[in-house]
Amino acid sequence: MAGGAALIAVLLLTVVSIIGRGLIFAGLGPIPGDFELVEAGTAFAVLAFLPICQFHRGHVTVDLFLSRAGRRPNAAIDVVANLLMTGAAGVLTWRLYLGMLDKRSYGETTFILQFPIWWSYAAALLGAGVFALVCAYTVLRSLDEARDTQRTRKITSR
Amino acid sequence: MGLWSFPILLTLIFLRVPIGLAMLLVGFFGTWLVTGSWTPILAQMKSLTYDTFSSYSLSIVPLFLLMGQFATRGGMSQALFKAAETWLGHRRGGVAMAAVGACAGFGAICGSSLATAATMGQVALPELRRYGYSGALATGCLAAGGTLGILIPPSVVLVIYAILTEQNIIKLFMAAMVPGVLAALGYMLTIAIYVRLKPESAGQRERAGYRERFAALVAVWPVLVIFTLVIGGIYAGLFTPTEGAAVGAAGTGLVALFNGGLNWRGLGEAISGTAISTGMIFFIVLGAVVYNGFLAFSQLPQETANTVATLGISPWLVLLVILVCYLVFGCVMDSLSMILLTIPIFFPIVSVLDFGLPAEEMAIWFGVIVLITVEVGLITPPVGMNLFVINSMAPDVPLARTYGGALPFVLSDLIRVAILIAFPVITLGLVRLLY
Repeated sequence: MAGGAALIAVLLLTVVSIIGRGLIFAGLGPIPGDFELVEAGTAFAVLAFLPICQFHRGHVTVDLFLSRAGRRPNAAIDVVANLLMTGAAGVLTWRLYLGMLDKRSYGETTFILQFPIWWSYAAALLGAGVFALVCAYTVLRSLDEARDTQRTRKITSR
Repeated sequence: MGLWSFPILLTLIFLRVPIGLAMLLVGFFGTWLVTGSWTPILAQMKSLTYDTFSSYSLSIVPLFLLMGQFATRGGMSQALFKAAETWLGHRRGGVAMAAVGACAGFGAICGSSLATAATMGQVALPELRRYGYSGALATGCLAAGGTLGILIPPSVVLVIYAILTEQNIIKLFMAAMVPGVLAALGYMLTIAIYVRLKPESAGQRERAGYRERFAALVAVWPVLVIFTLVIGGIYAGLFTPTEGAAVGAAGTGLVALFNGGLNWRGLGEAISGTAISTGMIFFIVLGAVVYNGFLAFSQLPQETANTVATLGISPWLVLLVILVCYLVFGCVMDSLSMILLTIPIFFPIVSVLDFGLPAEEMAIWFGVIVLITVEVGLITPPVGMNLFVINSMAPDVPLARTYGGALPFVLSDLIRVAILIAFPVITLGLVRLLY
């Protein structure tokens, strides 16, 4: 939901900035550094959206060839795919963290607003961390589902 | 090395590994193999994620997605269908034509095919069945009409194509406009022929009076205003494409609010829908960035392009092969993943070929043709997402009937692609006129 709030904030900020720019003659102006805020806001929103997508099984897959393979192989693949996703999310978070440390030690700031870039990295890192945790949770969830399919098999074979 | 990555990547994808993850993994380990060390890829990953997700040009995507979410909740689909129905409904096959027309109108405020198919399906499917349209025609025309969502600007896939090939987004939008209208007319023509061949597949609807017609037409003003504001505003340079998307999202949000369709719960649903699509798209984009970085390391795209250029094959034959690839892959893969996966390879190839067009015009023309070709995949079996979406709304229609109903529209698509290839001026005319 924090990501959603960030997206709405980006939207409102942009619209207000355009209106401000349109009213320059009236003494108003665009919001300074609106581009930078949009970029930082989008990065945060997207990283906050990744866990939601993972949780709701929103990632695109090609289901054609395995749809008839039965439930057990599919459950096994879910576990493996979620494990791989967790690994990827872990590496992503780890590198993002190091990237943040880099930006902080260089003292890099944005061009107009001069706010330190590592702040936006830190916000993004929060999303990435949650993403990794949610990925780990989906591994457990898919393991659970795999166990369930096994149990139903046993019941039906009896 | 680059070449070997394809079979591996495809195997992973067909094993149901998420497409973005497959690209990320192959790109990650591929870069390691090509460079012989972990350092380059790990160093790259430090800033790559943030840089990709904070890209200003990509920030247009979540905003357009939010706009589409608001549009599906704003009651505009009803207004559009009502307007189209009162004008076209009394003709033979008219209600189906109206559904296509309403899809085209909805496409002007929604950049996604699935959302267009799903939203218009909810409104139009009950009406089509009420007037005695056969299950095949009703579901087929709506699935096909849904593809207009992405063809008529704004279009998320065109945004991604523009970023990948470094083209001007608004010129691409302009270029897609005439082919989009042609697509709608082509579908209507298909319906007209269909109901002549199979008269029992369509029923009659009474003619609406002109007072009712104009009243219905007036009711679609928000769609017209938002579309003009967004596309016109970007074209006139009043705002950047991202700002245009923000204006569009705010506008559709306001309309949804005043039409009463948007409460706190609706807002929450719109945002979580946007969140899931955004997460999905950006994860594929991230995977594609890593994978394309690897391809660039392996120099495969340049080498392939050079090889094709020295072979001296006819450019048209190369184009045909590429489009057939898209048709085949389109049967199993979604359009966005396909574009992200293939454009980095195919675009350098077509760039070195001579189609008798300047470089920029070629890029725009190729983009629109590719867009239409990948959209055909949405209505071809076995994995046509639009077919599934519409079919799930009509429980009494077997999936095979929907497949059959969509086929005439696939044919119409293919004919249109051939026409657009033969006459680039149809695509480029508006761009040339405006710039």
